[in-house]
Amino acid sequence: MDNAIVVKAKQREEICTEIKKMMVKQLDLDIDPAFITNDQPIFGRGLELDSIDALELAVGIYDHFEISVTDDNMSIFSSVNAMADFIQEESLEDN
Amino acid sequence: MSSYSINEIMKMLPHRSPFLLIDRVIECEAGKRAVAIKNVTIDEPFFNGHFSTEPILPGVLIVETIAQTTAVMYCASFMESIEVRNDHAPLTPEKWEAMIKEHVGYLVEIKTMKFMKKVTPGDTMRIEVIVKNKFANLSLIESKVKVDGVIVAMGKIAVSEKV
Repeated sequence: MDNAIVVKAKQREEICTEIKKMMVKQLDLDIDPAFITNDQPIFGRGLELDSIDALELAVGIYDHFEISVTDDNMSIFSSVNAMADFIQEESLEDN
Repeated sequence: MSSYSINEIMKMLPHRSPFLLIDRVIECEAGKRAVAIKNVTIDEPFFNGHFSTEPILPGVLIVETIAQTTAVMYCASFMESIEVRNDHAPLTPEKWEAMIKEHVGYLVEIKTMKFMKKVTPGDTMRIEVIVKNKFANLSLIESKVKVDGVIVAMGKIAVSEKV
C-alpha cells in the first residue's frame, strides 16, 4: 500500500519536473526550471505569462506528452499542478 | 480544396490599397492550410523609400502577406460555417460580406521569422501557411514564403480569431 503511494508521488513529481522543463524551453524563459514551484501562479503575477503564452504551452503539452488541449479552459494552465492534473487525467482516459 | 481570385479575396478581407498584399489564393483547405501568390512590382508605394536605389520588399510586409493568407484561410472556414447555419434564410450579398469582414482576426505575435533572401520587383512570392496548433481563440501558424521554389522567409506567427 505504502509502496503504491510512493510510486504515485514519484510519478507526479516526474510529470511536474517535465512540465517545468517544457515551459522553460517552450517559452524561452531565462530561469532554471527548478525555480518554478508546483503551485505558483503562471499568469499575471507569478511567472508573468499571458494568454498568448498559453498557446505555446498547449503546443508544448502536445509535443512533450502527445496530448491535445482541445478544451478552451484556460484554468488548466493556472499552475504546474493544474497542468499535471490535466495530463494525468487525459493519460488515464487514453488507457 | 478551394482557390480564390482577387475579387473573391476582396469580399473576404477588409484590406484595401495600398495594403491588400496578396493577389490570389491558389490552394485553401478552410481552417487548416492555404497557399497564396503575390506578384511584386516596382509600382508599389513603399519602393519609393525602401530603398530609392535598391528596391527591396520590406520584411514586415512579408509578415503581413503571411497574416493576410492566414486571414483568407480562416474566412473560408467561417464562410463554410455560416453557409451551414443559414441554409434556410440566405443573407443578402452585402450583409454576407460585412459579416465575413468583421470576422477577420488580429495578428497577436510574431514568434520567429527569418528572412533568408531579398524579395525584389519581378518576384512571384508563394506564401504557404499551415495551422500548427490552436488554443482558445488563438492559433499558431507556421509559414514558408518561396520565390522560384527557394525559401525567402520562414517563421511562426500567432493570430486571434474573432468569436
